[in-house]
Amino acid sequence: MKTVRVWFRKTGTARFISHLDLNRCMARAIHKAKIPLWYTEGFNPHAFLTFALPLSLGISGERESMDMKLEDNALSDAELMERMNAGLPPDIRVYAVTEPVMKPGQITAASYRISLEVENMDAEQAAGRIAELFRSETLVVSKHTKSGWSDFDLAPYLGNIEVSAAKTTVEISSVLPAGSSLNINPTLLTDAVGKYLHLEFYAKIRRTCLYGESQKIFE
Amino acid sequence: MISKTIEKLLSKVQKPGRYVGGELNSVIKSKEDVEIRFAFCFPDIYEVGMSHLGMKILYSQLNTVPYIWCERVFAPWADMEEQMRRCQVPLYALESGDSLADFDIIGFTLQYELSYTNILNMLDLAGVPLKACDRHSLSRLVVAGGPCACNPEPLADFFDLFFIGEGEEVDLEVLALYREFKKKGGTKQNFLQAAAQIPGVYVPSLYTVEYREDGTIREMRPQCGAPKTVKKRLMPDLDKSYFPDRFVVPAIEIVHDRAVAEVLRGCIRGCRFCQAGFLYRPFREKSVDVINKQCFDLCENTGYDEISLSSLSTSDYSDIYGLLDKLHTWTPEQKIGVSLPSLRVDNFSTELMSKIKSVRRSGLTFAPEAGTQRLRDVINKNVTEEELLKTVNTAFAGGWTTIKLYFMIGLPTETMEDVEGIANLGQAVVDAFYSNPDKPKGRSVKVSVSTASFVPKPFTPFQWEPQDTMEMLREKQRHLVRTVKTRKIELSWHDAETSFLEAVFARGDRRLGAVLLKAWENGCKMDGWKDFFSLSKWLEQFRACGIDPEFYANRRRSPDEVLPWDHLDYGVTKSFLIEEWKRARENRTTPNCREKCSACGAACFKGGICVENR
Ligand code: SF4
Repeated sequence: MKTVRVWFRKTGTARFISHLDLNRCMARAIHKAKIPLWYTEGFNPHAFLTFALPLSLGISGERESMDMKLEDNALSDAELMERMNAGLPPDIRVYAVTEPVMKPGQITAASYRISLEVENMDAEQAAGRIAELFRSETLVVSKHTKSGWSDFDLAPYLGNIEVSAAKTTVEISSVLPAGSSLNINPTLLTDAVGKYLHLEFYAKIRRTCLYGESQKIFE
Repeated sequence: MISKTIEKLLSKVQKPGRYVGGELNSVIKSKEDVEIRFAFCFPDIYEVGMSHLGMKILYSQLNTVPYIWCERVFAPWADMEEQMRRCQVPLYALESGDSLADFDIIGFTLQYELSYTNILNMLDLAGVPLKACDRHSLSRLVVAGGPCACNPEPLADFFDLFFIGEGEEVDLEVLALYREFKKKGGTKQNFLQAAAQIPGVYVPSLYTVEYREDGTIREMRPQCGAPKTVKKRLMPDLDKSYFPDRFVVPAIEIVHDRAVAEVLRGCIRGCRFCQAGFLYRPFREKSVDVINKQCFDLCENTGYDEISLSSLSTSDYSDIYGLLDKLHTWTPEQKIGVSLPSLRVDNFSTELMSKIKSVRRSGLTFAPEAGTQRLRDVINKNVTEEELLKTVNTAFAGGWTTIKLYFMIGLPTETMEDVEGIANLGQAVVDAFYSNPDKPKGRSVKVSVSTASFVPKPFTPFQWEPQDTMEMLREKQRHLVRTVKTRKIELSWHDAETSFLEAVFARGDRRLGAVLLKAWENGCKMDGWKDFFSLSKWLEQFRACGIDPEFYANRRRSPDEVLPWDHLDYGVTKSFLIEEWKRARENRTTPNCREKCSACGAACFKGGICVENR
């Protein structure tokens, strides 16, 4: 038995597939690909798919990963990739297979690119306002927690945020806490922009990378 | 490919995955390379429509033709519709993202009457004029097929053409003709007249209807050379009939998320209430090898780990054990389960059970349909209480503890005693559990009894029968509740109001088109969904149009009345239906096609069991 980490992109129409549905898509693709999963007696095969960190509906992922247990020397990485891709929707693409280095539990942060198409202000001006907003002492938004909605101050987490104007969009890149202890959804940033600046916009969000302790890239 | 405008709406709706396409095996062609763009429309939401086998067959088949690109369109749920209307995004097809209005042919499948308002809503969402007479060009031809096309009259105002019977051949013939007309720049009128000459094509605008003072039909008169009767099309040899080797695999969960093999069409039984049993005659089977190959290909190309052997009555397949054995040569090793969607009480055996139980332990479903032997004889449901009890005992001994029983109330000649019979039969199943020595130890039994209201349908021996009034149906439901004595029986029933509307449209005529239009204008849609259906709103529209819905639902017809669907021919003769109606009133059953041919008329198609019987 060996564990492999399958790396994939989930973009385009696939960002509208929920985490639960993604799980089923992967399981079906694995089944279709006849990949010799390693089974223990009496277990549900789906339980063997471990995703690094679920992605919220609507957000694309450019460096997503999923671990699975295979029988030894089952098939080559290239073969595994090719066969999986044949069974996945075109907007989910496996692009690498590696040996896991870190455990998903070690993830502490994620980087995002947010592209805002602002409708009621030009991009240059909006970028200025947004950058200023993100420098506020406090930036309170409501965050959904297990016990319901509560106020949450984003300001302490915006240290390494970058805001710039592109031709027609405002580009925001940021690294936010992610993982089991504290997870900040990037939509909280766009919520803040909507709430405080009264901007109307369409936001496209991509998760570009995951990190462990001291900014170490999740591998 | 969905546009950015559409993407923007998606952040504001529940389940955006319904509206984006991009699934495994969806067919993408280039518009420039095709001559006919066909929009296959299912008038319900994605999860329902994508579960439908007929759609999968025709979608794949049309896309095998190089000059056709068939795409899929579903009804948006209310939240998406609201966004689309607010942002003026037209209803679009999932493959190209193009508006429905850009298509040459817009084809709907008519699966249930309560989806009719969705059809109008979908056309309107794309800005396509609703009435056929308001669409003048050859493009945006609106067509339909499916079981409800057997009485398409309530929809006659809105559709240019209906396919009668099975679509595999006639669809392609009509599309080939359309291609010719499009190339030479022919008119819609000329095209429709030419299409009406193709067997199985019904062009409603080529028929005029005259009514009598009492509201019944005097005559349906064909014009411009249209045939007096349109005979359904049928695939006599299912082994040779097209079946896809792959399905579009939805990324989001749908109602029936599995591979589906069609093992047979039609039914040998002849239950008198069952429209499908008459519409799809004669009974035709695929051979074991063909089914096996189709199952194998489907699993290979989709990744599904479950195959459902679908049909009206799969356990009537003559070589069911042979088929299951054949499937078992490869399915266990590939971790694929096989399931049967329906079981008959009389041929359920330990052997059959052992082959399917690995898949679904969730519960067993049987449909005795009526509570007493007398009433079961009336409807020709040849199942006895003894057989049912034998079957459930087998099931209990095999470890099952949940049994679902389906019944109908409001069947012709039904009395309160028959209603009590439903409770008694449920009770007998409960008692059987407790007196079964081999029942699972330490578990209790649950019997779910669910009752639907009987809806008389065209092309059945009960097509002349009145439906019970809603008040009568409710009284019978209350009586049933009073009669059930144990908590082990769980009762549920369909609401009488939707069944009433279904009955009106099932046997309706062209005058209902006005009501349908008005109902849609006043906000009726998704009538099959509890959260939307409002009978009072519908009744208002009937009043406003001066039409009495009870004329359609609750009136007893005389056998010599001209029925709105008399110009359509499904093979089964009217004289046979009248004979069956008579036998029903005499509590007499009719043997099934395998036991003895009753000369129903379907032998004219020269296929299936009618030929084997000779
Ligand atoms: S003609 Fe005879 S065998 Fe054929 S469908 Fe009718 S009753 Fe059955």
